[in-house]
Amino acid sequence: MNSLAEISDKIIAATIELFTGMVMMDISVAGEPLITLGPLKKSITGMVGLAGVHKGILAVHFSKQVALDITSSFLGVNVQEINTDVQDAIGEIANMLGGNLKTILSDRGKDIQLSLPSTVFGDEYAVSSQVGGDQVILPFQVPSGVFYVHVELRH
Amino acid sequence: MAKNILIVDDSSTMRKIISRSLRQAGLDFGDIYEAGDGQEALVVLEKESIDIVLSDINMPNMNGIELLREKRNRPAVKDIPVLMISTETGEDIIGEAKSLGAVGALKKPFTPDAVNAVLGPLM
Repeated sequence: MNSLAEISDKIIAATIELFTGMVMMDISVAGEPLITLGPLKKSITGMVGLAGVHKGILAVHFSKQVALDITSSFLGVNVQEINTDVQDAIGEIANMLGGNLKTILSDRGKDIQLSLPSTVFGDEYAVSSQVGGDQVILPFQVPSGVFYVHVELRH
Repeated sequence: MAKNILIVDDSSTMRKIISRSLRQAGLDFGDIYEAGDGQEALVVLEKESIDIVLSDINMPNMNGIELLREKRNRPAVKDIPVLMISTETGEDIIGEAKSLGAVGALKKPFTPDAVNAVLGPLM
């Protein structure tokens, strides 16, 4: 059984690998993990759900500017507004990190199901789940700001 | 002769990134076609001259495993090789894909070097 601390270490490694190898953006850990996160302002969140022997969510929370910069770097074009490309890119980041989380929890893969990614965005909102398990929120620094990878799991 | 490639992924971002990675990997390929799920892929496969399919697994409507299963029943396209590109790399899922004819798997996220290593032998 992986502890939340072990899972956090692996998600940090996976996030850094994703950003350096595929998004092509400098990234570093921005301090200690958080237990809770206040309301998100002018932000976009990508999310996938896990079901099966482990239930939970993996969400990535980006400010509007960070999301635009990440999508621009990801696609190699200058994106200036939240549009379907940004929603798709943020959803795909959540999907790839969710796939990593699934592999961390089960290397065989069939005892956990991963949902398709979804995104939400707005001027002010909060994210909560019905999972009711342990959660950790990992902050990362990229050139245009901080973003968060949020894992909530119930074993 | 350069190979025509069909990229199957419900994420338009990922289709663009796979396409870019093919170019960055220095592979000699012909035309690139795109489909958003397995159903769209079958339409393209039966209409165009496709040599290699690169397919995600987790997709709406018809996922990558269902695409492999359906493709096997269509004589005109059943021998076209399919390489899975997915976050889903658990042994059971990849084992099922290979039992249905997938020739290999590439884990997301990937680099152009990884694309070259897996796809190069098929080109």
